[in-house]
Amino acid sequence: MAISAIKNTANRVQQAFYNSMPNFVTGDKADKLYKTAGREISSAENRLILGATALMSQPFIDYSNSKIDEDTRRVAVCRTIAKIIAGTVTGYAVRKLSIKGIQACSHIPEKGMPKWKSFFTPKDVTKANSDEFKQYQNALGTFISLGVMLFTNFLIDAPLTKFLTNNLNKRALANKDTGGAK
Amino acid sequence: MSLEKAFSSLKSNLYKNYGENPGKMLVHTGTAGWILSSAAQIMAIITNDKIAPEQKTFLIPQEIGDGLINILSFYILTSSVKNLCSKAVLNGKIANKTIKGYLEKNKLTDKIGKVDFNIKKTQNYGEIKEDFTSFKNGVDVLASTAGSILSCNIVTPILRNEYAAERQKKMNDCLAKRKQTPYHRVTMNEFRNSGMRV
Repeated sequence: MAISAIKNTANRVQQAFYNSMPNFVTGDKADKLYKTAGREISSAENRLILGATALMSQPFIDYSNSKIDEDTRRVAVCRTIAKIIAGTVTGYAVRKLSIKGIQACSHIPEKGMPKWKSFFTPKDVTKANSDEFKQYQNALGTFISLGVMLFTNFLIDAPLTKFLTNNLNKRALANKDTGGAK
Repeated sequence: MSLEKAFSSLKSNLYKNYGENPGKMLVHTGTAGWILSSAAQIMAIITNDKIAPEQKTFLIPQEIGDGLINILSFYILTSSVKNLCSKAVLNGKIANKTIKGYLEKNKLTDKIGKVDFNIKKTQNYGEIKEDFTSFKNGVDVLASTAGSILSCNIVTPILRNEYAAERQKKMNDCLAKRKQTPYHRVTMNEFRNSGMRV
């Protein structure tokens, strides 16, 4: 009873949303862009886009946080920038390498092909260049990269974030002492 | 079930679930990424010998709170944006010229925007299947990316700053109270009576 009432309300809210939304028909260029994005943006590119946009927003959000003192704010901004750079570089590299690795081990089986080359190929696949197969490789590569990142989080991310935070903080302090003359 | 069979069915499931739905994959792997990252942060505190046990009792729940904000904000916002856009393609609100032409040809324009209308379930869907799938995949991926930018780069940092500032204020109040309590200075007699030696 309660579940169907929630479903009905959710449907009504959604319907109101779609009623207020104008019909949107894409032009040829936008259509091409959407299709390319669907085919080419894997989790690695997604991480890169997130990192680039994070650099454009998060440091400014931290900088305008008036609830903390100036020193804490400076360190928070430096740490945020360092965390974004370290996280994006490692995140992108690990995802990309994992996806490449899966692609190398998921070929359509052929006569005489070493077994490892089709180790990750699902048995239902017949076409190597289909969008579905490419998305499958991206998905599996991304799941494997999550396991790899359990280690790289400690081995690369954390020390690199610390190193970059200290360097950025040192520069910010020097800049403050010279009154931003440099 | 043998290990080989289990691995084979895992591959088939991944292929069926994410092969035609890259947007869903981005939401699921993104959420899994946040969960693992929060787990790593919590483990780092638990295994850090330099942190005193009393401090750990504060830091661990703090990190769990932080992780929950990240995970929930990412999942709720990203999947909502993705699902709304995905449904808009399924009911024809967002379309390309081919899909629009198909809806007009099959006299389905009066159903555009209806929540229960699904182009995939229409009679002649096979005519546009390939074009529709790649268009929908593109919209899904871009919507997931936009949703994650909104949650990770705007909403989460604002929520986290509010939460952290509140926490810092509480900690500072606590430290100030401790400073106000004078230390009990141990006299030489008390020291001797305690049985300790210099």
